[in-house]
Amino acid sequence: MNDLSDMEAVHRRILDRRRTNRDLPPYRAALIPDVTQILASYFARLHPGSTVSGVRRVGGGASKEQFFFTLTRDGTDEQFLLRMDPQLAITETDREREFVLLGAMNGIVPVPEAAWVDPTGAHFPQAAAIMKVVSGVTKPSDAGMKVSGLGTWLGEDLRGKLRDQFLDILVRIHAYDWRANPLPGFEAPDADPRQAARWSFNYWRALWQIDQGETRPIVALAEQWLANNMPDCSPQDLVVTHGDYRTGNYLFDEESGQITAVLDWELARIGDFHEDLAWVLMQAFGTIDNGTFRASDLYEREEFIAAYERASGRTVNRRTLHFYDIMSSWKCYVIVAANGIAAARSQHNHQDVLLTFLAATVAMFADDLVRLLRQGQPA
Amino acid sequence: MIPSIDDRLASVVRALTEVILPHLPPEASLAREQAHLSIGHLQILRAQIDAAPAFEREELADAVALARTLGEAMTGHDTPRAALAAAAGKAEAVDSANGGQVREQCLAVNQAIEALIAAVSANGNAADQARMTALVIGHEQARAHKDRVWCAPFGFDTL
Repeated sequence: MNDLSDMEAVHRRILDRRRTNRDLPPYRAALIPDVTQILASYFARLHPGSTVSGVRRVGGGASKEQFFFTLTRDGTDEQFLLRMDPQLAITETDREREFVLLGAMNGIVPVPEAAWVDPTGAHFPQAAAIMKVVSGVTKPSDAGMKVSGLGTWLGEDLRGKLRDQFLDILVRIHAYDWRANPLPGFEAPDADPRQAARWSFNYWRALWQIDQGETRPIVALAEQWLANNMPDCSPQDLVVTHGDYRTGNYLFDEESGQITAVLDWELARIGDFHEDLAWVLMQAFGTIDNGTFRASDLYEREEFIAAYERASGRTVNRRTLHFYDIMSSWKCYVIVAANGIAAARSQHNHQDVLLTFLAATVAMFADDLVRLLRQGQPA
Repeated sequence: MIPSIDDRLASVVRALTEVILPHLPPEASLAREQAHLSIGHLQILRAQIDAAPAFEREELADAVALARTLGEAMTGHDTPRAALAAAAGKAEAVDSANGGQVREQCLAVNQAIEALIAAVSANGNAADQARMTALVIGHEQARAHKDRVWCAPFGFDTL
């Protein structure tokens, strides 16, 4: 029997916060003069004599309010990024946890340097983190207007330059020795072999319930299937998972094709490495080229699995991967149909119009669930 | 004569596109993004608005059909099956010209289906579970395809 309350303590806190925030008055997008003032008062305390200038909003993204700014200290200008929670986001996460992970991954994989964090919104209106700016783009400049990384087209030249790096970085993230170098605030699901799957399932199921997602039969069936088919995870398969690893969530230098930073670590946790692989392999995050699917426009499915096995020395269990394939599509359904819509309906986000636009992806995720559940468990 | 909804929406799109957007400074990135998205939303609404009532009625009819089929195909589980039959009956009596009622009843039927799925998954026999899975997948395969076609103008799908 699945204990539905079994999850990381941080996730219980996030769920409590989400429940509480539902009753707050509408949220308004932060204005540049207000953000400038908040930053100035923050640094006046931390670094008396410093000045804040050039505050401007960062475009793209579907989750957080983000601003570039310049901090001048002792006559030196430095560029930073402020990443601040709205009242309700399409993905409800914890800024401190992301901050801890950026610090731990620094020097292992390219990440923005974490500088300061206000985990509870003690100074900022909401929880916020500040990191150094890294140069690069998330998509080619000729990729056209897209609201997020969904289906980013890289093209042959960039694909050739990026694919080995993309794989290598994922393998290095998974190789992080979290037992020798513990991550404060991160718990390991090692009480029993199914705890890794259970924690993930329970958290997303609770989010679905809190946000009162409008059900449909395939989602109900998928939820029951996941509850009844949780795979075992051996201790050596418990890794740091990025949680949202895909094209669109890393920066690269458009000229050289060098990856300069992996972004959006907010869904990271200690879990089964298959969870990251299934997310990478989601059809919604890939491209279809003359009938051929490429994950993140980098690898065909089997090619990616084989390359990952070679590079990591791990063996991909096809039944476990199938479970996380279904989990990924179900999670995406929860994110767009429940979390995004709840944030927009309650007017607790700064980009309601984007959240309702993204909700049109529900049909793709429902269709993914149909395809995967019809396919059945691999032998 | 009253102004058509399409004429009204078209005028809002034009105002956003040709009057408001050009006056937004380049640094107002959030405002520019949201203006573009608003225009996109409105264009899709224009394309869908005439067909929307029929689409929602078909969605409800599909849900009721699955509810009836599941109710007949399952054995035992009298309570969720009775609730399912009641929800389907209520949905069939809905005023189909009332979009709000159509949507409300569709959700109610889907919730009743969800309750039956949970009950059969938890303590149904293997034959019922297999039949239920096949019926839901068959229904949703057709339904998801209709939904994907409906959502195709948003530009996410590779349909």
